Amino acid sequence: MSSEPIERRVAYIGDRLRGSRCTLCGKEYFRVRDYCGRCGRKSFGKMQEIDLFYEKGELEVCTLINEPTNKFKKLGSFIYGIVSFHNGKIRVPGRLTDLIINENDEIDFASLEGREVVPRFRRRYAVKRSEIIPTISLAFTFADEYYPHQEYSKVNPNKDYETPGIVGYGVYISRFRIKEPHMERSVPFIDEDSITAAVEAGKLALIHSGVDNARIGKVYVGTESNPYAVKPIASKVAQVLKLGEEDRADGIQGVDAVDTEFACKAATSMFKDAASIVYYPKSEIEYAMVIGTDNSQAAPRGEPGGELDFFVGYGACAFIFGMKDVIAEIEGWYSVTSDTPDFWRRDQEPYPRHGGRFTGDPAYFKHIRKAAQKLMDKLGLKPEDINYFVSHQPNINFPTKVAKELGFKEEQYLPGLKVAKFGNTYSGASPTGLAAVLDQAKPHERILVASYGSGAGSDAYSFITTNQILEKRNRQKFTIEYQAENPFLYYVDYTTYRKFKTGLEAT
Amino acid sequence: MNKKPIPTIIGVGRTKFGEHYEREPENLIEEAWLKASEEAGIERKDLEAGYFSDYFLPLTNKIGLEEGFLSELSELHIPMEISRSFSSALMNACNAIQAERYKLVLVGGMEKMTDRWDKIRDDLMMLEDPWSYYAGGTPEANHELLLREYIKKYGILGEDLEKLKIALAQIAVKNHFHALKNEHAQFRRPITLEHVFKARNRARRMLGLFDFAPISDGATALILASDEIASSYTDKPVYILGSSSATDYITFPSREERTGFLATRMAVENALKKAGISRKDIQLLEIYDQSTVMEMISLEDLGFAKFGTAWQYIYSSCEDYKGYYEIEGKKLFVNLNGGLKADGNPLGATGGAQIYEIFKQLRGEAGERQVKADGELSFGCALELEGFGTKAYCHILGRNVL
Repeated sequence: MSSEPIERRVAYIGDRLRGSRCTLCGKEYFRVRDYCGRCGRKSFGKMQEIDLFYEKGELEVCTLINEPTNKFKKLGSFIYGIVSFHNGKIRVPGRLTDLIINENDEIDFASLEGREVVPRFRRRYAVKRSEIIPTISLAFTFADEYYPHQEYSKVNPNKDYETPGIVGYGVYISRFRIKEPHMERSVPFIDEDSITAAVEAGKLALIHSGVDNARIGKVYVGTESNPYAVKPIASKVAQVLKLGEEDRADGIQGVDAVDTEFACKAATSMFKDAASIVYYPKSEIEYAMVIGTDNSQAAPRGEPGGELDFFVGYGACAFIFGMKDVIAEIEGWYSVTSDTPDFWRRDQEPYPRHGGRFTGDPAYFKHIRKAAQKLMDKLGLKPEDINYFVSHQPNINFPTKVAKELGFKEEQYLPGLKVAKFGNTYSGASPTGLAAVLDQAKPHERILVASYGSGAGSDAYSFITTNQILEKRNRQKFTIEYQAENPFLYYVDYTTYRKFKTGLEAT
Repeated sequence: MNKKPIPTIIGVGRTKFGEHYEREPENLIEEAWLKASEEAGIERKDLEAGYFSDYFLPLTNKIGLEEGFLSELSELHIPMEISRSFSSALMNACNAIQAERYKLVLVGGMEKMTDRWDKIRDDLMMLEDPWSYYAGGTPEANHELLLREYIKKYGILGEDLEKLKIALAQIAVKNHFHALKNEHAQFRRPITLEHVFKARNRARRMLGLFDFAPISDGATALILASDEIASSYTDKPVYILGSSSATDYITFPSREERTGFLATRMAVENALKKAGISRKDIQLLEIYDQSTVMEMISLEDLGFAKFGTAWQYIYSSCEDYKGYYEIEGKKLFVNLNGGLKADGNPLGATGGAQIYEIFKQLRGEAGERQVKADGELSFGCALELEGFGTKAYCHILGRNVL
């Protein structure tokens, strides 16, 4: 049984890697301190809070842990060592994550030592289903591999827009993939879940937008695979990313945070709420963040619901909405809803079930067709007026078929069709397609997005890109293309992927 | 002006170290303390206070206030204090004797680790270095990281590196060799370099199972008197001439010095100063070989070998081991009881076994293990650590008052 106050304190420091710097002598500490040991009493009130969350460190020394302590057993064998930051001013213990170490692997520690590493926000270790999930950023990956180091520079906005829109976005897809007969899909490493992906995606969106985290007034996290039935992911995101005004003394953030749920449209549904809240002057909210995150939630093959375990992926997308330095303005929206039970998960069931005959025409196609067509009619648009069409993508066939039915051509729907690389990332699926398009769109192009959420409904949006889309593009190295085609992808087999969910044995 | 009393050991006792499956912890300390009392020739009622140690009995054995158990067992109502290591209990007892608070006290240590064998590594790591534990560290990992830092700092490469690896293995072999003659030792069987290297290969690291001390149950005790009354009990008193400790940060990666222990360096300087002797007077060393690396770096931290060189002396002394290390022409008898590696390491009791060994050796009562020094065997030094070099305790023992 874990202790909730201890978990809170360890996570508060460890999630963000909070530290302190003495403004008198420059000495730095991991963990928050009120005074400097070297300067003593005179440094009271002169300590500056720092954190290592966006920093790059160096793995100074390392060793193999193949007999972990009980709490870490399910992580299997791993590399563990000392990571230094700021040229050795701060040193922290750290575990290398995203590596599978097999029984006979020879490890050349010297070849790992001296390499640059970046912190990853991960689960600390596996716990029983009833316990608080411990998280930490003392998990690292090599900076020259899948996750690059990216600085977070806050940029003062210089252009106001009359309509709200997207000011930045980030997509986080894990390094691990499985090859299926007609597609690849992303799967979470053993220390990843919807919470960790949400935080990482939010971090990427802040980096891309250049928006000051303190100016984000609301964060929505849409998911259907929160590991908690009660306890929001959004609160973790707000705390770790320090969204809104920070009250350091109480460790509290001046931000509104909420989780939403509507199968795969839990995030897209909130786009309009985010846009509205930044548009309404009395809300006093300059920016709102919407995250869609999901964790390859499917029963194992052969069990009820296991038919989904050929398609489900893992990842998260974050979009920041505002009215300054917009890269894509919202032109309009239309949503549809009906009570169609095509896919569901009952309370206390570990995996969702699937309605078979419902999922195609009466569910997916009917809702997307209706929402997209209604929006086009409302805005007086024909397919040829639209540069890109993106829809929810649970597999390759459905989005292709619906695009064709609506009159779109390959050059309009293929740029935003990414399911063949990442799998169905649920809440993140259509937003990932949107991100893929934004990664390559030119200014003044029109994008039509139509999400789908089982249960059932669809949100259609029309976006028009601005000139500023180009200037922000070079801030993000971790693009969709980068994540889809990367020499450091780690392909695993189905058995290994299921073990990521239940535990690796140390070897 | 009156001369300050000198804390004087008049009797020692201990149990065998190892697994004591059927026995309660208080049953172990009773055995150790009865032996010590018998050797000292004292009665229970003569004791004025008790200083005890256990690292984490309330956690491992779910017992309540240890002092209460000990009071019930001994039917004594004297002041009793508990601290974590035997050396810290001993240092507190020495302070009390020197302050003329008491003239005769019991010092005892106990631990029962095997009762919690399945969770003990988590407990140890949590207490030793919590942030390293949160990051996934194990009790063994810090030793390995320290060794890798050491090799880097001193640029040990190629043939030298191979020699260093052999030297570390020789420490384990040597300690098992000494334990053969120790009737209380946990492991009384010889091991070879091959055993050590095989275990390292299995672990795929520089340190393997045979480089580390085991987990153990056991208890140790001694009777400490002021020198004034000691002579009425024994004609072979052993004096505690210097007693000191120092403390370092709990998070190993946060320390400036990561190729040795600052706490040891400070503790030994103070202890030597208090004892009024120099290192060259010391012939016997009982040091805290929680791992073979610890024995190596302790020789440096204590100042018997220059930094970055201890492995060379270990290597040359162990090629044809004569029972001691030879460092720059000086003979140094190290861990004659087999060290933590072979004698065992019941945390709260371990320091007592170190003092026990020096006491027996200085009195010439170590039986088969008795060493022959060049000249008279006069001084011994015990180094005990808590955590991963977080606390160091140094005690200097001598046969004569200077």
